[in-house]
Amino acid sequence: GAMEELRVGFVGAGRMAGGLARGLLRAGKVSPSSILASAPSDKNLDAWRESGCRTTHCNLEVLQESTLVFLATKPHVLPDVLQEIRPAVGSHHIIVSLAASVTLQTLQRLLPAGTKVLRLMPNLPCVVQAGAMVFARGSSAGDGEAALLKCLLSSCGLCEEVPESYINIHTGLSGSGVAYVYLFAEALAEGAVKMGMPGGLASRIAAQTLLGAAKMMLETGEHPAKLRGDVCTPGGTTIHGLHQLEKGALRATVMNAVEASTNRARDMAKD
Amino acid sequence: LQKMGVNFTVSNKDTVKSSDVLFLAVKPPIIPFILEEVGPDIEPRHIVVSCAAGVTISSIEKKLSTFCPTPKVIRCMTNTPVIVREGATVYATGTYADVEDGKLLEQLMASVGFCTEVEEDLIDAVTGLSGSGPAYAFTALDALADGGVKMGLPRRLAVRLGAQALLGAAKMLLESEQHPGQLKDNVCSPGGATIHALHFLESGGFRSLLINAVEASCIRTRELQHLADQEKISPAAIKKTLLDKVKLESPSLSMGSASKVSLFTNKS
Repeated sequence: GAMEELRVGFVGAGRMAGGLARGLLRAGKVSPSSILASAPSDKNLDAWRESGCRTTHCNLEVLQESTLVFLATKPHVLPDVLQEIRPAVGSHHIIVSLAASVTLQTLQRLLPAGTKVLRLMPNLPCVVQAGAMVFARGSSAGDGEAALLKCLLSSCGLCEEVPESYINIHTGLSGSGVAYVYLFAEALAEGAVKMGMPGGLASRIAAQTLLGAAKMMLETGEHPAKLRGDVCTPGGTTIHGLHQLEKGALRATVMNAVEASTNRARDMAKD
Repeated sequence: LQKMGVNFTVSNKDTVKSSDVLFLAVKPPIIPFILEEVGPDIEPRHIVVSCAAGVTISSIEKKLSTFCPTPKVIRCMTNTPVIVREGATVYATGTYADVEDGKLLEQLMASVGFCTEVEEDLIDAVTGLSGSGPAYAFTALDALADGGVKMGLPRRLAVRLGAQALLGAAKMLLESEQHPGQLKDNVCSPGGATIHALHFLESGGFRSLLINAVEASCIRTRELQHLADQEKISPAAIKKTLLDKVKLESPSLSMGSASKVSLFTNKS
């Protein structure tokens, strides 16, 4: 169908780009030969070639060969890259930027007027197709482009369209959130080690616990407070453990973390 | 109480003789001595209901067993809002109390609020939660009113609005199938005033303070029960206290977290 004929390009071939491409390929949404990735060196491109994707060192070629183009360079490099590819950008292109602090306004300013631009904020687990992604559309991107992007990226996890103002919040919640979870997992495991369990085992169980709890939240759609209550037998072990978390004001601390990360994202976008 | 038409006597014995359901509403340390006094007059028809915090069914049954082989005892824990018919009451039935006896008490107490039967070993926890609970609420309301006053409201209006807010929230929760966490979320619009305020509550460990409070009250109740079991207070001291303090007092309200409406006075 039309999807299989879609030619997808990646300017920048790092972890995030690789994760998104892998998701698209695994879901069978796009064939390997329809994917073209560019990077300055071969370092990152080997893995792409092994999957059957085409590679190049020329960013312009990606624009010439592809319809849907992901801009996945580091943010500080992006303005120069935009200048470079601008001559090759046409009305048929759909440009999706992954750059953290680069606004739609900036993107649209540096690209030809009327270019269909969208801004995507993924998170790290996209590389294992369990990502949380939000995207916002620029002034020339329409329902068709939004639907296409959502359909394709659902193969990498949860993908929702949002107003651009939510993107920094997503960073604080989920972009950084992954790190909060790693910290929590590490602490859980350490608690277990203190109580006598070997570290490797504790770590695997901690990870599975988080995975399982998250899966229940997503699958049941129930409020986490209710799910928490379901685990707490009266006078039992869990409520004793939870009391310790409340004593440590964990909730407020987590809220502080999301707030701090979001504010930092907002500040960085202004720079 | 006399104005309401309630009969009044200074004799505990008379009270027992003319009653079928007997509420013991004295302070917990006094219970054993009252039981000694009225024990001989307890008959098979009597249902003895103790509202005394920390006094176990078995201790009452033990005391009465010297007078009556199968005393019907029910232990009850209620709270002050029975006064406005919004009490929270639980009861546990003793060895010889029948299902109908429990149901009778439940009917009586349900007329002044919520009433349900529980296992006796939960009563201390109930004390910590709903027995002491009104005090937590009064403290919260006082502080909420302070917040209102700080931000410009007249005190009376602040108190009225705070009380209504808690009343309304409680009513919503009781009438809803939803978890309180969900109801909370429903009030918190993104980036709005309420979520900012809640963050302050969380930072202060609000939840943990409430958990601590319920726990402390429950534990203290158990300590008091332990003391009572040992009957450490001498009878002479009790009688002296009664005579001096109670003579001129109006119907007694028990100490501790629960306050009961005394239908029968206990002056000696």
